[in-house]
Amino acid sequence: MAKAWDVPGLTPDAAFRDAAGRTILTRWTEMMSYRDGTLAGEDIEQLHAMRVASRRLRAAMDAFESAFPAKSFRPYLRRVKKVTGVLGNARDHDVAVRRLLKLLPAVAPDERPGLEGLIAKYRHGRAAEVPRIAALFAAIDDEGFERRLFSYVMKHTGVKPSTLKPSPPGS
Amino acid sequence: MARPRSVAGLDPDRRLRFNARRILAVRIDEVFSFDRLVADPANVTELHDMRIACKRLRYLLETFAVAFDDDLRRFIHQAAALQDILGDIHDCDVQLPMLQQHLATLPEGSDQEMGVRALLDRSRGRRDDLYSEFVKEWRRLKMGRFRARLERALAIRP
Repeated sequence: MAKAWDVPGLTPDAAFRDAAGRTILTRWTEMMSYRDGTLAGEDIEQLHAMRVASRRLRAAMDAFESAFPAKSFRPYLRRVKKVTGVLGNARDHDVAVRRLLKLLPAVAPDERPGLEGLIAKYRHGRAAEVPRIAALFAAIDDEGFERRLFSYVMKHTGVKPSTLKPSPPGS
Repeated sequence: MARPRSVAGLDPDRRLRFNARRILAVRIDEVFSFDRLVADPANVTELHDMRIACKRLRYLLETFAVAFDDDLRRFIHQAAALQDILGDIHDCDVQLPMLQQHLATLPEGSDQEMGVRALLDRSRGRRDDLYSEFVKEWRRLKMGRFRARLERALAIRP
């Protein structure tokens, strides 16, 4: 599993609001760093990494919820939950196909048609998820969601996204 | 999926450590609240909810680790190990109904039916093995006093 990005400037004695801003902005950036790979669909681990990052972001948003006004915070959390949900459907198909491909070489010849039929079915199901994933990202772009999230987080925590500059481990 | 429990006594104007202790105390309790429920391998929903609770705890330990003097890595690794087994069980619990549904669409005696039936049997066996592994891992955590040691590391008063 991809290692979580370090949160820049997070100190042992951090103020809660400051930690909230730094962590949420870092986790959002981390999650979206996998966008292109997820959309390309060539490496299933990109989608998996994005899903894991979305769970980390959700965990952070749950943890730091009290740093934000309750009513205005919820739509942001709902949008992130939607990302996990949409990616989860695709991930389930990827996991199923991978497992079957691993089993295929070792099964008896009369069992092969069954597995091959299933692989085809799951691949078809996975392909149906592609436009949903594309629509999810398109909606995020059309709504200017990232800009609104950054502005919202900065307003309530004082953390400026432009000064944070999170990056993957080892970079 | 079970929603996270709300945490009382948070104060966003105080330090991270003050709030992290309170949040982690609740998240630790959430994981252990499933103890009796996951004793039954048929409790698919509860096993899934425990997996989510483990994930939340693990990700929060990663996030909040900077605020504590004790090295929390061993606890993070143990939570991750439990999460991984529960994740594998969850994969089986997702795939078994999909296989059953698919089998129901196949004509009896078709060339695909045998393979899917064999896979279904194999998957059920795998699920049983994974559940046994989970029971051992969970018992190991409890015998190793994971909760007490983690609460001590976080200076959480039980």
